[in-house]
Amino acid sequence: MIEQFQHKATNSFMLWFDNYLLKKGQAYSNKSGSFYYYADDRLDDRFEAFGSPYKQWVNDSSISGATIPSGVYVSGSFQPRSSGLLLDFTNGRALISGAASTSSVSGSFAVKDFNIYFTNDGEEDLIVDKKYTPNSRVFSAAVSYIEPYDNVVPAIFLSSQSINNAPFAFGGEDTTKIQMKAVVMAENSYQLDGALSIFADSFNEVFPSIPFSGNPTTEYGDVKNGTYSYDSLKNQYNSEPLFFIEDVVTSKLSDKARKSLSNDLFIGFIDFEIHQQRYHRL
Amino acid sequence: MKTVSTNIPQSVLQKARKDSAKVLKVKIYDAVQKEFATIKEQMINDFLNLSITQEILAGSEASNISGTLSGKGNLFSFIGFEKSDNPIEPILNLLNSSSISFSDGADYAVTITIPSAASIFSATPMPWASGRSWAKGIETGISGLGFYISKSGIGRSDAGIQSSKKVSGGGFKKTQYISAFIQKYIKQFSSIKSSQINIK
Repeated sequence: MIEQFQHKATNSFMLWFDNYLLKKGQAYSNKSGSFYYYADDRLDDRFEAFGSPYKQWVNDSSISGATIPSGVYVSGSFQPRSSGLLLDFTNGRALISGAASTSSVSGSFAVKDFNIYFTNDGEEDLIVDKKYTPNSRVFSAAVSYIEPYDNVVPAIFLSSQSINNAPFAFGGEDTTKIQMKAVVMAENSYQLDGALSIFADSFNEVFPSIPFSGNPTTEYGDVKNGTYSYDSLKNQYNSEPLFFIEDVVTSKLSDKARKSLSNDLFIGFIDFEIHQQRYHRL
Repeated sequence: MKTVSTNIPQSVLQKARKDSAKVLKVKIYDAVQKEFATIKEQMINDFLNLSITQEILAGSEASNISGTLSGKGNLFSFIGFEKSDNPIEPILNLLNSSSISFSDGADYAVTITIPSAASIFSATPMPWASGRSWAKGIETGISGLGFYISKSGIGRSDAGIQSSKKVSGGGFKKTQYISAFIQKYIKQFSSIKSSQINIK
């Protein structure tokens, strides 16, 4: 199947959301330190994995002040990104070809205050049923790597709830209305209030349609062409139809309800109504 | 037949016109007021007869007459209300506050004020997340979170705690409720001639 409107909407929204949170909230911390070797069955045989204690590093160079790594130190000497050294921003690790498991690897990077995930799970599954590994951004992480692939908290889970069209103008132009939701799982009340406040102010914001081909991430979690800037990417697609945030409502799970949950997270919700005018019958 | 011609003074004519207009205005306003009262009563009865309203009014023991949960459980427990809650009351209060006022000027304009969908959404918070509206959720979708929270036993609706059936948010069928209802009554009130609808 070729790429559809929903695919574009999801991709565009996720890239915008990530950038908006990092930029408006400076929602990252710069870190540096050792990386730790671990075996990863899922990984290409060519590479050995050296993980940092944090996952989801900032990969967007339009975030001023954030340390965006371009390589790592191996046995004290800086090795830039190459075909034999990839940076997996998603899992917070370096993938090094031919490195001994005993190699000393270290580096600097910025870690997001919130991991961002896209999910099809319902709120009850996310909040009640699932268990998460904590990857605190407040307390010092354990002196070890963080396991790859599994979702960790603090995190924000994005999902697309529904989409429908309503007539907009003569000639077949419709307003496509998309309901997007975000479940925010924070470590503390300050972090939660910050995220909710940032997105409450996103009312009337716009962002461009960016197809999957514009997604900056490779299958290894690295950035295509070695660099990614949301601001530059957005400018490349500024002639594409814009998405418009028609309405945004934020709310928090009440303390009474929160105490009934098995985890100790602070939970909030962001409900977006996003519009775009389209001639989808053409 | 004999025709008698006479000159009535302008001042007398003016007073007669003014007095007759006053009487006419009172009569028109009285008729409009009655029509408004009839539609307002019809609006409240219509709201109380909506299947969503009836199901929520029936509380934690209701059956899913609205069909929003495919017959499983009921909305009161699914949303996660406490047994003592009366979620319909704030909406009824807003509908009851609908009012009519008449202009003092020479025209015959009346202003009718009814609640907007947005004001109803503001008055209907989810029991577990006050920024969200359960009434809006009926139209846009509600997760099963309230049901799980009530099941965890912190003193919410009894049926929620006792039920062992999993009712997920994916099983909720969104349906028209407040927005369509208010639109319908904006049209109804607009049918009163010379009135101007003011939505607060």
